Amino acid sequence: MIEFLSKELNWIDVEYWFHVLNDLSLLYIIVPFFVLEMIRYAVQKRLTKDLIFDSVANVITFGAFFVIEIILGILAVTKIYFWVYENFSLPHLPLNWITIIACVLLADFAYYWEHRMMHRIGIGWATHTVHHSSEHFNMSVAYRFGPLDAVMPIVFSLPIVMLGFDPILVLLSEVFVQVFQTLLHTEIIGKLTKPVEFIFNTPSHHRVHHGSNRQYWDKNYAGILIIWDRMLGTFEPEVEKVKYGISEPLRSNNPIKVFFHGLSRLFRKINRTQGVKNKFLVLIKPPDWEAKA
Amino acid sequence: MKSSTLLFRSLAIIIFIAGGAQLAGYLTYDTYAANEIETNHLDLEETDTTYEEGESKQGEAQDNSSDEPLLTTIELQGKWGVTYDSEDFTGTMVYDLKKEGKAINAYLVEYQDENGYGEAANGEKVLVIKKFDGKKGKGVYSVAYEGETYEVDCKITIIDEKTFQLSYDYYGYGDTETWKKL
Ligand SMILES: [Zn+2]
Repeated sequence: MIEFLSKELNWIDVEYWFHVLNDLSLLYIIVPFFVLEMIRYAVQKRLTKDLIFDSVANVITFGAFFVIEIILGILAVTKIYFWVYENFSLPHLPLNWITIIACVLLADFAYYWEHRMMHRIGIGWATHTVHHSSEHFNMSVAYRFGPLDAVMPIVFSLPIVMLGFDPILVLLSEVFVQVFQTLLHTEIIGKLTKPVEFIFNTPSHHRVHHGSNRQYWDKNYAGILIIWDRMLGTFEPEVEKVKYGISEPLRSNNPIKVFFHGLSRLFRKINRTQGVKNKFLVLIKPPDWEAKA
Repeated sequence: MKSSTLLFRSLAIIIFIAGGAQLAGYLTYDTYAANEIETNHLDLEETDTTYEEGESKQGEAQDNSSDEPLLTTIELQGKWGVTYDSEDFTGTMVYDLKKEGKAINAYLVEYQDENGYGEAANGEKVLVIKKFDGKKGKGVYSVAYEGETYEVDCKITIIDEKTFQLSYDYYGYGDTETWKKL
């Protein structure tokens, strides 16, 4: 077993496996699943115009996000990551199953903290609110991203590179976590068996995360493993029926409004806040923070 | 939950996972080094026969090397030649390996064309061997590809006292070079 786990692997194989899981899964799971969800909406007579425009807006925000991600990715990954890897890293780890599993676990843990920060810091919420602003819950919502959503992961994954993990492996692991997360955006799957619900993030746990019900705010930040939430005090089980969306509804399916509403709300808040220090604090304090008059 | 508890638990999680991976990486390297040393006392002459077979099927030699451990340890210092036959360069590059501190560094000192005519090179450092136990080693190799130079992790496997193989795999683009003692 140990021998198998520590046997050195070829990059060409590892990249192929990640390609099948990360990229091709769009074709063999995500799109078929979305079609199934649409059929279900139709059967339940919930296939409204609002839902269709919402889905279209989701895909358009993803396009915009993807362009930003590619530009940042080229800059950050090829330059900063490799520079840190060569200069500020523990001994470089070999490419084997132990390293891959550890890297995915760390990427998942980094995702937890990055996601938590996106909810609890003003500037983070300004971009992540886009993802939460849909009042529907299906696979297309997973693709609803804000303009700065690509920035936080870079900051949170650099420490993984410094721990000796290859930058490309870190990147592939991050995408893997994101793809796993994508699959949770559905109402079709109810609760899974107890052990699974205890260890893994599931559609049920993630519905809670998208809830606007008060007890569901800022809960279940997990990517793959829900145990991070259990260990760090942010777990909440799904009990009351979830109402999706944000506390201050957006009421628009205009992709431009959807994409930028968080930032424009943030700028308005900065404008009406008195004092330079307070204006700065708006960026890093929790989104519900208000300067004392 | 208190911030200090959050910090403590988070650090514990990171140390547990990354520490485990680092420990496993460290232990697996040492295990193979230990295996090799056990076979160290065997006779040198056997090595020569191993080599002649090895040379005739060079492609397989790399795969076989772990099953048939090499019987001798060698020093890497001195001049080594690598013969290339590619679009960029056909001929032999001569490297000078020097022990500097804990590492062994290789410098490109001469180009030789197919007819053996030499031309001095600029002496740039192309290889840093960070670990070497007399039979296997690891290091960083500078690989030039389409005008850019990449620093690539590489492995060294001794074939006999006059030959070693240097192999690297850079995200699927890899090669194995045969270095010959001059
Ligand atoms: Zn969220």
